[in-house]
Amino acid sequence: MGIATASQVEPDPIRGEPLVQGGHDFASVTDAVCGVIEAKRPPLIWFISIAISSIMTLVLFAMIVYLFWTGIGVWGVNVPVGWGFAIVNFVFWVGIGHAGTLISAILFLFRQQWRTAINRFAEAMTIFAVICALVFPGIHVGRVWFAWWMFPIPYQQGVWPQFRSPLLWDVFAVGTYFMVSSIFWYMGMIPDLATIRDRATGTTRRFVYGLLSLGWRGSNRQWHRYERAYLLLAALATPLVLSVHSVVSFDFAVSQVPGWHTTILPPYFVAGAIFSGFAMVVFLAVPARQLYGLKSIITMRHIESMNKIMLATGSMVGYAYAIEFFMAWYSGNIYEQFTFQNRAFGEYWWAYWTMASCNVIVPQIYWFKKARRSLVVTMIVAFLINVGMWFERFVIVVTSLSRDFLPSSWGFYWPTWVDILTFAGTFGLFFTLFLLFLRFLPMVAMAELKNVMPAAHPVHHLSGEKEGH
Amino acid sequence: MRIIDTSQENRSFSDLAPNVARNALFVSVFGILASLILTFMLGGGLERFFQSYLVNFGYFLSLTLGALFFVIIQHVVRASWSVVVRRVAEVLSSNFLLMAILFLPVIAGMDHLFHWLDPHAVDDEILAGKLGYLNRTFFILRWVLYFGIWAGLARFFYTNSVKQDETGDIKLTLRMEKFSPLSVILFAFSLTFASFDLLMSINPHWYSTIFGVYYFAGSVLGSFAMFALIFHYLHKKGRLLQSVTLEHFHDIGKLMFAFTVFWAYIGFSQYMLYWYGNIPEETVWFLHRQTGSWTPVTWFILFGHFVVPFLGLLSRIPKRRSALLRFIALYVLAVHWIDIYWIAMPEWFNNGVSFHLLDLTLFLAIGGLWISVAARRLGRASLVPSKDPRLSDSLAFENS
Amino acid sequence: MSKPSLFGYLVEFEDVTTILNAAREVRDEGYTKWDTHTPFPIHGMDGAMGMKMSILPWLVFGGGFMGCTLAMLLQWWMNAYDYPYLVSGKPLWSIPAFIPVTFELTILFSAFGAFFGMLALNQLPELYHALFTSERFRRATSDRFFISIEAKDPRFDLEKTRAFLETLGGTAIETVEEDE
Repeated sequence: MGIATASQVEPDPIRGEPLVQGGHDFASVTDAVCGVIEAKRPPLIWFISIAISSIMTLVLFAMIVYLFWTGIGVWGVNVPVGWGFAIVNFVFWVGIGHAGTLISAILFLFRQQWRTAINRFAEAMTIFAVICALVFPGIHVGRVWFAWWMFPIPYQQGVWPQFRSPLLWDVFAVGTYFMVSSIFWYMGMIPDLATIRDRATGTTRRFVYGLLSLGWRGSNRQWHRYERAYLLLAALATPLVLSVHSVVSFDFAVSQVPGWHTTILPPYFVAGAIFSGFAMVVFLAVPARQLYGLKSIITMRHIESMNKIMLATGSMVGYAYAIEFFMAWYSGNIYEQFTFQNRAFGEYWWAYWTMASCNVIVPQIYWFKKARRSLVVTMIVAFLINVGMWFERFVIVVTSLSRDFLPSSWGFYWPTWVDILTFAGTFGLFFTLFLLFLRFLPMVAMAELKNVMPAAHPVHHLSGEKEGH
Repeated sequence: MRIIDTSQENRSFSDLAPNVARNALFVSVFGILASLILTFMLGGGLERFFQSYLVNFGYFLSLTLGALFFVIIQHVVRASWSVVVRRVAEVLSSNFLLMAILFLPVIAGMDHLFHWLDPHAVDDEILAGKLGYLNRTFFILRWVLYFGIWAGLARFFYTNSVKQDETGDIKLTLRMEKFSPLSVILFAFSLTFASFDLLMSINPHWYSTIFGVYYFAGSVLGSFAMFALIFHYLHKKGRLLQSVTLEHFHDIGKLMFAFTVFWAYIGFSQYMLYWYGNIPEETVWFLHRQTGSWTPVTWFILFGHFVVPFLGLLSRIPKRRSALLRFIALYVLAVHWIDIYWIAMPEWFNNGVSFHLLDLTLFLAIGGLWISVAARRLGRASLVPSKDPRLSDSLAFENS
Repeated sequence: MSKPSLFGYLVEFEDVTTILNAAREVRDEGYTKWDTHTPFPIHGMDGAMGMKMSILPWLVFGGGFMGCTLAMLLQWWMNAYDYPYLVSGKPLWSIPAFIPVTFELTILFSAFGAFFGMLALNQLPELYHALFTSERFRRATSDRFFISIEAKDPRFDLEKTRAFLETLGGTAIETVEEDE
């Protein structure tokens, strides 16, 4: 017990660097992760950050109140472009969330053990991003007092919601996604909450974490069912995450609007969502690991792996752009052809080229190992990818609506200050939630991390022992 | 880590290879002769011959592509569980040279298969716009390129892997890993456009951006089923009894399950979006498949290609019984064939199913050759990459 | 033979290999009311303790089946039966359009089955447990490994069990009392 992994070994080209570095043993992993929560005061930068993000959250609430008070006219939406920032931001935030589920579920099923250091806060990010996304369908309906029409409750005249509408599919998809992600996140946290409970000194802390950890006592009879449940949830979350952004893409693709109505949209949206989500994960992980001294747990290997996934999903997005362009020409449909010309060379050309260069050209730098392992490059690229992916949704929503079939009904969209401040405000909400998470909940899955350390594997003395699974 | 003694294991196929190759060749010769008789003496006609040929060519091409994808992706993600499975995939993907030769009849039959070659195509306004892409010269050039890419990639991974059996050089693994991401990109684009050319352009008016992904999903699913069959066969012949364990069958089963779901997802996306959009030039493709006797085939694709294998592979029991898994694999290979049939045939026979014996005899003709060439190559090297640096991990691998 | 307030014995171990071998011995001794407590699940422990497969997958399947059926019924009843109205030329009973919601509810109910099924089978929440009275046991969620044998076990004997436990290679043995 307590045999530390060699900290500075030559990286093994076949097995890669050790997942946990810096000579950690089980106790020191507990100390490192719990120390963040048990510290008397968080670092100064935490206070500064949460002050800024809380102010931005207040701006968001102020904008929402102003919107409700005055009406949807305070936004830039108009007759041909009825979907503006609200939908762009909704799709953007839902997409950000996808990386968390990919890391927690899909990489788990693929037995990618490096995920253990980052899955917890990637999942937290998922939930907060979905909360930010859910703000928009809540407020963009115009008459918010009818928002309950989205749920299967009979209206006054006994009318039911319209299940043939993709907007209703959204309610179910994003709602399910939010609930299942929360369950997955919480369930993964139970053993770690128990760790904090058992280390707690104060009564309040012991009571709160005791309540949250449900009386977990690490019994193998519990672990057995727990692990099975975790595997099953991962297997459920995997198709779920594919379905969520697919359903979001259906909002566009079931219509006949040129540029929206194309069959590749569902997988293409999913790839883009994972792409932007990973960019957000590294964007948050790099400062967090520096700040809280977790460099030996969230290692360069983790950063590099995530950068590789960005290269892969960015290439999938590039593939979809290429096939869409080809098919617009091949289809022989003049409206499709015009839409794609208009995207690249029309009024919104700058949005298109921002999208194309940030999403397709910028990640190409990750073909070089040096770039993948540079924190500066990582931060810049992650930022640019998020910019690019936001513009992708802007291009899809705005260019197609502003120029559809009849030139007489063409229009132009430009956001108002309320649009922009509302969008900025969601970042405040997101970061406020995230900073609270860093302060009060274990940001690294300790139990899982210990499980991938070499000391967690028994040395086999007995041979011929029959082991069940 | 468990230590597994494989010193007594039989890892060679060289004793069985000549027999299997010869028998498969007999089947193929029988298929060829029967097809020729059906075509020329029993009134099948050249047109029908080429149509059936295209379906079966598309089917075996998909299995070869699926195997190639498996090989590449294992290097991209540096997988260790799959090392013992990889050699068989490498051998199957080496069949591209054969597929290139088998493509010659498609070129010969182009005029019977693709109506964009019709001299009156220029009179059709929509079609006229596409002739820059859909023309004989460019079509052939593209296929030369596709086969160049596929055969080149397959050869690269096969020869390096076999070379490692002798030298045990880790650098070979690293070289394959280094080249694998670029291979995926080449693979993705070549497969996509190949599927557009071979199957989608049968109806040159119709288009779907997801079509390449649909063909890809079926291909990978089919190749996993093929692996399950081959490993079951090798076990029965007393090969790889220690290397390939229940755990590997379990994983192949899981991947079959995953790709069954993925295929359904892609198929549903394509269907639902066109059904919902309800634009005539898009729905016509499905209309052909929902009229007359094609309707039950479409329902069969829905249930037989998704619901049945989904429920069949859901539990861990069938995935851990190689005999049961073999049965499901055979079934999946059969429905995959029906899927390809369903993609191609209704465009020529939009009044209803017209099954012809040629569909079967050409299956035997191409399939026999495919198996024969693969078996011969399988006998030439060890059945597992015996000096792969990750082999020990693969041997000891267990599902949790 | 045992006092009613006695919960049982708790043995502490310092590494994975020792507790795994110890668990095999406890299993072979024939104890039934015992458990191991570890900061993370140990690979091979299920076999070492002689545990059977959980029925949880069936609960998940049941949840999924219920969600699927419920969603289809819900949509059929609301849009095709109780208040039928035509929208965008789609049939009242539009299966392709009903697939997304059906899928989502299937997943949702399966996930409920997995999570609440796990809690129910594990008898959680259980905020009080005798083991929590042990100061030493607090490290079971950090870096120590424990075996507990309950006094309720038919093979439990104050002296013999203790003597047996002492042979297992643990670093400490203590008795745990129920907190009355």
